[in-house]
Amino acid sequence: MPSRAAASGRRVAVTGLGAVSSVGWGVRPLWQALRAGRTGLGPFSRFDHTRQRTHVAGQVPDAPADGARHQRRRARLSYCERFALFAADEAVEQAGLEAPLETVRTGVFFGTSTAGLLESEWFLERLWRGAGGRPGLGLMASHQLNTPGDSVARHLRSTGPVETISSACASAALAIGSAVGALRAGEVDVAIAGGADCLCAITYSGFNSLRSVDEVPCRPFRQGRGGLSLGEGAGVLVLEALEHAVGRGARVQAELLGAGSSCDANHMTAPHPQGIGAAQALQHALDDAGVPAERVGFINAHGTGTPLNDASEWAAFVRTFGERAARLPVSATKSIVGHLLGASGAIEAVATVLCLEACEAHPAAGAGPIDPAIPVDLVLDEPRRLLPDLAAVSTSLGFGGANAVLVLARYSGEAV
Amino acid sequence: MITGGGTVGSFGLGFDRLADALRTSTPSLTEVDRSAGYHRANGARLAALACAQDLGQWLPSGAGRRMSPPSRLAVAAARMALRSASLDADGAGMADTAVVLSTTLGPASFTEKLYRAILTDGPETASPFLFTECVANAPAAQVAIACGATGPNVTVVQREAGALIALGRGAREIASGRVSRALVGVVDELPPLAHAVLDRYDALARATPHGPEAARPFDRRRNGFVASEGATVLVLEEERAARERSAPPLACIRGCGGAFDPSASRVGWGTGLGPLRDGLRRVLTRVGLLPRDVCRVVSGASGSVAGDRLEARVLRAVFEGTALPPLLAPKGVTGEYGGGFLASVVLAAQGREFGATAGFGEPDPELGIVPHAGGELPAPKTVLASSLAAGGAAAWVVLGAP
Amino acid sequence: MSEHDATRATIKRLIVESLNLEGMSPESIGDDQRLFGQGLGLDSVDALELVVALEKEFQISIQSDEIDRQVFASVADLAAFVERLRAEPPSGPPHA
Repeated sequence: MPSRAAASGRRVAVTGLGAVSSVGWGVRPLWQALRAGRTGLGPFSRFDHTRQRTHVAGQVPDAPADGARHQRRRARLSYCERFALFAADEAVEQAGLEAPLETVRTGVFFGTSTAGLLESEWFLERLWRGAGGRPGLGLMASHQLNTPGDSVARHLRSTGPVETISSACASAALAIGSAVGALRAGEVDVAIAGGADCLCAITYSGFNSLRSVDEVPCRPFRQGRGGLSLGEGAGVLVLEALEHAVGRGARVQAELLGAGSSCDANHMTAPHPQGIGAAQALQHALDDAGVPAERVGFINAHGTGTPLNDASEWAAFVRTFGERAARLPVSATKSIVGHLLGASGAIEAVATVLCLEACEAHPAAGAGPIDPAIPVDLVLDEPRRLLPDLAAVSTSLGFGGANAVLVLARYSGEAV
Repeated sequence: MITGGGTVGSFGLGFDRLADALRTSTPSLTEVDRSAGYHRANGARLAALACAQDLGQWLPSGAGRRMSPPSRLAVAAARMALRSASLDADGAGMADTAVVLSTTLGPASFTEKLYRAILTDGPETASPFLFTECVANAPAAQVAIACGATGPNVTVVQREAGALIALGRGAREIASGRVSRALVGVVDELPPLAHAVLDRYDALARATPHGPEAARPFDRRRNGFVASEGATVLVLEEERAARERSAPPLACIRGCGGAFDPSASRVGWGTGLGPLRDGLRRVLTRVGLLPRDVCRVVSGASGSVAGDRLEARVLRAVFEGTALPPLLAPKGVTGEYGGGFLASVVLAAQGREFGATAGFGEPDPELGIVPHAGGELPAPKTVLASSLAAGGAAAWVVLGAP
Repeated sequence: MSEHDATRATIKRLIVESLNLEGMSPESIGDDQRLFGQGLGLDSVDALELVVALEKEFQISIQSDEIDRQVFASVADLAAFVERLRAEPPSGPPHA
């Protein structure tokens, strides 16, 4: 069926990637860890978790020494902004663009769940426990959820539309979808799309209160899986109108064919057991991309590792792909970097592009048999060769029922 | 097409109550509870509060038992909106509906309670009830559950520009054919701590020897905005579907767009006239309008010293060479946050009467803007709504008579 | 009131208070009334909220795999569970 892209005539290219996560600063360490199935989840020190129920997370390591100049300048920014800025810089550089982006019609589309919530926690702790004196207001300067996206726009001197979305785990994927819409509508020629999030006590305690957190690094789709693992970091993609990218000689890393979203409208925390909402989002994304389900050859799953999510997601795969569902290679990126909440859709889109470029689905970290009740073809141990002409879907199924799906493929190289 | 709307604010429940307040230029401000000791001695004391409003008839009993204040406000406004559009909130046909809400202050009271318990009694006492609502998208999720809306569900968090971004997003979801209906709106709650922090950033209006605490859009004496809480939800429908239902449209959305001013600080307004002027011009061009075709401007000017200055400069630059049309600045009545502005935009597009701009008395020679002084105006054919956010984002929507 | 009765009465009070069941009197909850699904209509998040309240009130630690439909089926079942946990010797700090 004709996609909206076909209708508007504007296809969307991915021309740059940036990432920060528990396996390192940059896309290179991310791809190395993904390829090796090596997890970045483990002990962490972002805040005191002595009295927490669990003690595992995906904390970003200290910034690299050669980044010291950036880090000093950014020292008064929140961790979340620092992650966002690094990833944005990396993506823009890779795209062969340079700040200031004032002369290019550029927009910024971001997703986050936490922004500077960690720093706000410090403020509140000092406010409530401090012996006299007032905590510095600077700690609250990054509290608002628009802060990381704004910081990226400000740093790149982008002057087009800026929009931040906070819809839990679907945030960044929705933001990327928004960017696709703006590119197709001709509002911008370049979109910096992504997300950033930081570990903090409120979210860590909150997910533990729901008994959703595993005591060991998460094991998506595995038998006996015990919950999710929280992570932090950022993912940024430079998206561009294909003709604009080709016109300036940019290297097209992948094509973003479409985006779709839906809402379970069922329960505030539990996904719909039959995966109906997720399946709707999948179908809408495929329709938007003009890609029939049979042309999908790879799934980057939401795969949090909670008993409910993975089962519900499998049900959605079956609804969408029928009996092919059990034969579609699935990568569970959260087993490597953890659940980046609002930023998860972005870092997983980055991972999906990396997999498409290499024609390899990355293996999940960890051992153990797949849950026989949900027989996904989870890629394990070794990267799995992918057929180059098939499309990939990346799913983000959020807390509160918001679902977002992206459809990507290798760039065919055909003339625009 | 906008076919219905619900709103809760300091003015009461419903668009008619807000219309009365705007027509009589009467804000409803109350003293914020300062007993927790967060507030500074000579700071702001007032706000346009709404959480004490009785939402009973709009929230089925028991339905709100786990909802945070923003969720209750949003669900009540959504149900009010559906009723006003003659749609059945529990009926079939709601599945094909998107929900796009905007919030700035987010789940403020529940987050405060949750973190307080974590610090005082330990993380093992963290309440699942509180945490479930401690996400910015909780109100949008609750609206979806309450109305069975399974279309796209998006929560925009772009501060003062979020309302118009959400409105534009809702219109786009319908224009793209993804859904035939959207619930679009704004929700904010303002607990005392949030008010105190805004005040410490010198964002809020304060009493001075020259006058009482008040929001004074574009006025020479302005010294900050008045914060408010509440919710507004609008029903947007695809034009043909609305006509088939014989739903009387309130206004139609002709276009939208945004821009960013990189000179702004994280929490303030900048001086980036160029990008914002160009951004607004692009929006008008895209809709096929010249500045002189705009019948009315509804400005997000709030009484912020820097914000109103930038808004004035942008408008004057874009309307250079043409007289500015009548300019409404409703935040003198509604305050900032909570959806009052969005509701006022719809009332303006409907041609409802606005009184003299509340809070405005003395023009600021630097700005050269004199907002509406009261009196009847002809029904507008096109209305430009404008909002500039702290942090640098800007959003505009052009509405038209149906 | 026997200790059993006291435990059940406390649990009923906690249900009403911690789950915001306004307008419901604790005494109106039957000992054997189903709490989830058709009975009182509670769901998984209610169960987790109740767990926090029970842990605090009775100074017990409830493991995630103990939060199931059987233990939480009724007030009587919950009371038996709570009493069993209280009778066990503590096996170390709850969450460290």
